[in-house]
Amino acid sequence: MTTAAAMRNQPIATAPSGSALPPWALLGLLFGLVGAASILLWGPIGVSGTYPRVIGALFRLFDGSVAEANPYLVKMGALLKPETYLVIGLPIGGFLATKLGRAPKAPACEMVHAMERTTGTRYRDAFIGGFLIVFGARLAGGCTSGHIISGIMQMSISGLIFGAAVFASGIFTAKSLRKGA
Amino acid sequence: MTPLYAILIGVAMGALIQRVGASSPRVILQNLRLENLSIIKFMATTIAIGMIVSYVVDAAVPGVMHWDVKPTYVLGVALGGLIFGVGFALGGYCPGTCVVGLGEGRKDAVVAIVGGIVGALVFTLVYTMILDPLIKPMDLGKVRIQDYVALPPIAIALVLGGGMLALMRALPTNPGRGSDA
Repeated sequence: MTTAAAMRNQPIATAPSGSALPPWALLGLLFGLVGAASILLWGPIGVSGTYPRVIGALFRLFDGSVAEANPYLVKMGALLKPETYLVIGLPIGGFLATKLGRAPKAPACEMVHAMERTTGTRYRDAFIGGFLIVFGARLAGGCTSGHIISGIMQMSISGLIFGAAVFASGIFTAKSLRKGA
Repeated sequence: MTPLYAILIGVAMGALIQRVGASSPRVILQNLRLENLSIIKFMATTIAIGMIVSYVVDAAVPGVMHWDVKPTYVLGVALGGLIFGVGFALGGYCPGTCVVGLGEGRKDAVVAIVGGIVGALVFTLVYTMILDPLIKPMDLGKVRIQDYVALPPIAIALVLGGGMLALMRALPTNPGRGSDA
């Protein structure tokens, strides 16, 4: 990744020397171009629909009739969609950026709340958090990628409503929970 | 060629998300507590650039963009966003960033993915129950800002995108720490 190489050794949230743009602006500019390229090539980026498509694929692996009898799995369709390939690319990109950027190794487990005193309690919060983001995203029909990034990029009303709701409740929840380490 | 393009877009997204720090729950919580606005500014920049580029391309070559606007069923979109926000603040991940975190070797990201798969399974099972109360009512359809504002979409995109970029430039990245990096 040329972008990762260009950002080599740059600490997060400080301006790279010799560049007029702070990292959030440079990386946001690149991400915006990637998002527009996706709409040009096949359609807007999205992630969360892949979760129920994986569920559908797992059901079809053992008993296809279950997937065919569930209206939501029928609506979401088969796993072979551009979005699934995109999701496969995500961890590859994360891995390459860590390696090529010579970034410090990511912590295996990052405590973020005062109530997370052990890895067990951290995993509990990560599990409940993961459950709620995907359940909420499927109820709304999209997540950060599909609704907030791609949605507002296309000037959709649903993206604006979802984004406002996410940040209102996210900021309220984050400020209500005591800070961890 | 679409699968290849989609994987490459996913790789680029994963690398950018990793470089900006959005796959770190610690950084996400700093943003939701409004102590560090780097991810919020990154997302807004992404949206603004993507919006301007997409609508400029659309105006230059009509019909070339694969727009795909999500329907605005106000109740489900808003409630889904509120649920999503709680999970976002609790776990520090969204459905895409935990998959990037997997590539970085984050174990709590893997737990969040498992939580997400369970969330998708539960949603699949309750879908028919929530269809009538939350998804069918107040459905405005696939509406965009240009359906309510009598201006050419490119004009709205330039004003809105330009305004967002100016606002992000004006906002401090680390409020309270006196830094505007």
